[in-house]
Amino acid sequence: MDFNINIFIESIPYLLRGALVTLRLSIISVGIGVVLGLFIGLARISKRYIFRIPATLYVEVIRGTPLLMQLLIIYYALPSFGINLGAITAAIVGLSINSAAYTGEIFRGGIQSIEKGQMEAARSLGMSYFQAMRYVILPQAFRRILPPLTNEFVSMLKESSLASTLAVTELLRAGREIVAWKANVFSPFLGVTLIYLLMTLPLTRLSIWMEKRLKTSD
Amino acid sequence: MIKVVNLHKKFKNLHVLKGINLEVKKGEVLVIIGPSGGGKSTLLRCINRLEEPTEGEIYIDGIKITDPKIDINKIRQKVGMVFQLFNLFPHLTALENITLAPIKVKKIDPKIAKEKAYDLLRRVGLQDKANSYPSQLSGGQQQRIAIARALAMEPEVMLFDEPTSAIDPEMTKEVLDVIRELAHDGMTMIIATHEMGFAREVAHRIIFLDQGQIVEEGSPKEFFENPKEERTIEFLSKILSV
Ligand SMILES: Nc1ncnc2c1ncn2[C@@H]1O[C@H](COP(=O)(O)OP(=O)(O)O)[C@@H](O)[C@H]1O
Ligand SMILES: [Mg+2]
Repeated sequence: MDFNINIFIESIPYLLRGALVTLRLSIISVGIGVVLGLFIGLARISKRYIFRIPATLYVEVIRGTPLLMQLLIIYYALPSFGINLGAITAAIVGLSINSAAYTGEIFRGGIQSIEKGQMEAARSLGMSYFQAMRYVILPQAFRRILPPLTNEFVSMLKESSLASTLAVTELLRAGREIVAWKANVFSPFLGVTLIYLLMTLPLTRLSIWMEKRLKTSD
Repeated sequence: MIKVVNLHKKFKNLHVLKGINLEVKKGEVLVIIGPSGGGKSTLLRCINRLEEPTEGEIYIDGIKITDPKIDINKIRQKVGMVFQLFNLFPHLTALENITLAPIKVKKIDPKIAKEKAYDLLRRVGLQDKANSYPSQLSGGQQQRIAIARALAMEPEVMLFDEPTSAIDPEMTKEVLDVIRELAHDGMTMIIATHEMGFAREVAHRIIFLDQGQIVEEGSPKEFFENPKEERTIEFLSKILSV
């Protein structure tokens, strides 16, 4: 054990700066992921092949391959096509693309969990498919998917650590940098651990609470 | 008003409607009775194309609604539908359930839509429930809201699919009274029901639908007092003896 309380305390401000980057990456990526995911979810349940097949392919490819590989491709392979993204942008693009596949599945599940009679009642009143989605199905689905969306955000907080391989100094990389400077492993990583938990634990509890509340209200 | 010509509906290999022909005049109340699984719901659902007919034509007001080029959303505004399980929107209040489609589909001014919704709530006897959510209402109350919701679009025809089947017996009357009132006001209606007393009282004409075919058709008096077909007699003796 090479724990040193002074190194631990000194490392906190730097780690917090890294945590801010982690938060920023996660919020932006899940935000974009939710918007894209809504359309992917809708395309996945569409009757039309031209929407459904590409969306399904997208989801399968993204979920079936490592996120790290996706990030590396975006960061290292795109420049050879003349697309140069900075490290942060590349990380956000990669994480968003990844998140969209997962939130797309969350939306699909949420929409499909709404009783068939809701869409029929809305359509029988003369609403178009999209009006029915917008005013009847999605508001109900959204309440149901808040817990899994929160979980998706929690996993993004953790997965965004892979951005450290693109030289983005988020929380994990901040910790590793201190490890290298101070030649001390435990002190900075204890800080890293605590900060991750500080971010993820309340959200996990929130998700469980929302889930319970939904169950009692249904 | 409504004309159904040689209507067939198949679900994969299951032949559910086998050549239905019927006509409903303006202001007429047609009641469909028949055993469960006989095709009552499917027939009603074909009339507003919640189900796509496999074969045959349906005309509403002379417009061929089975034409694939038709704007079905326009047609559905003229055809109100009341479901067995109400299908109210649980995230909206009773009032919002009623005003949603007029505001979003017909683009009616929200204030006017609201006033009209209050009129409808009075009509179904639930003016004090405007701000209740469906989960706070009894089955009978929910179904009356569902009727008000359909009426808010000012339909020319109302379709009722066993509107009291999912409601406690002591609350069916309040729903039937609302439908009775509509009949009295001259609304054109097609009603699938197992309430024989109600059918007899409110119907101008009754059809007996069994195994996807109209087995017998007649005035309530003829139908109940002097049924001709074997299957009708058997069905009536079963249902009236319980
Ligand atoms: N979406 C569907 N897919 C397959 N079979 C169906 C579907 N809807 C109804 N059916 C079948 O069609 C038949 C008629 O059903 P329905 O119209 O609901 O009868 P009823 O309303 O008279 O009880 C039943 O055998 C039912 O199982
Ligand atoms: Mg039925």
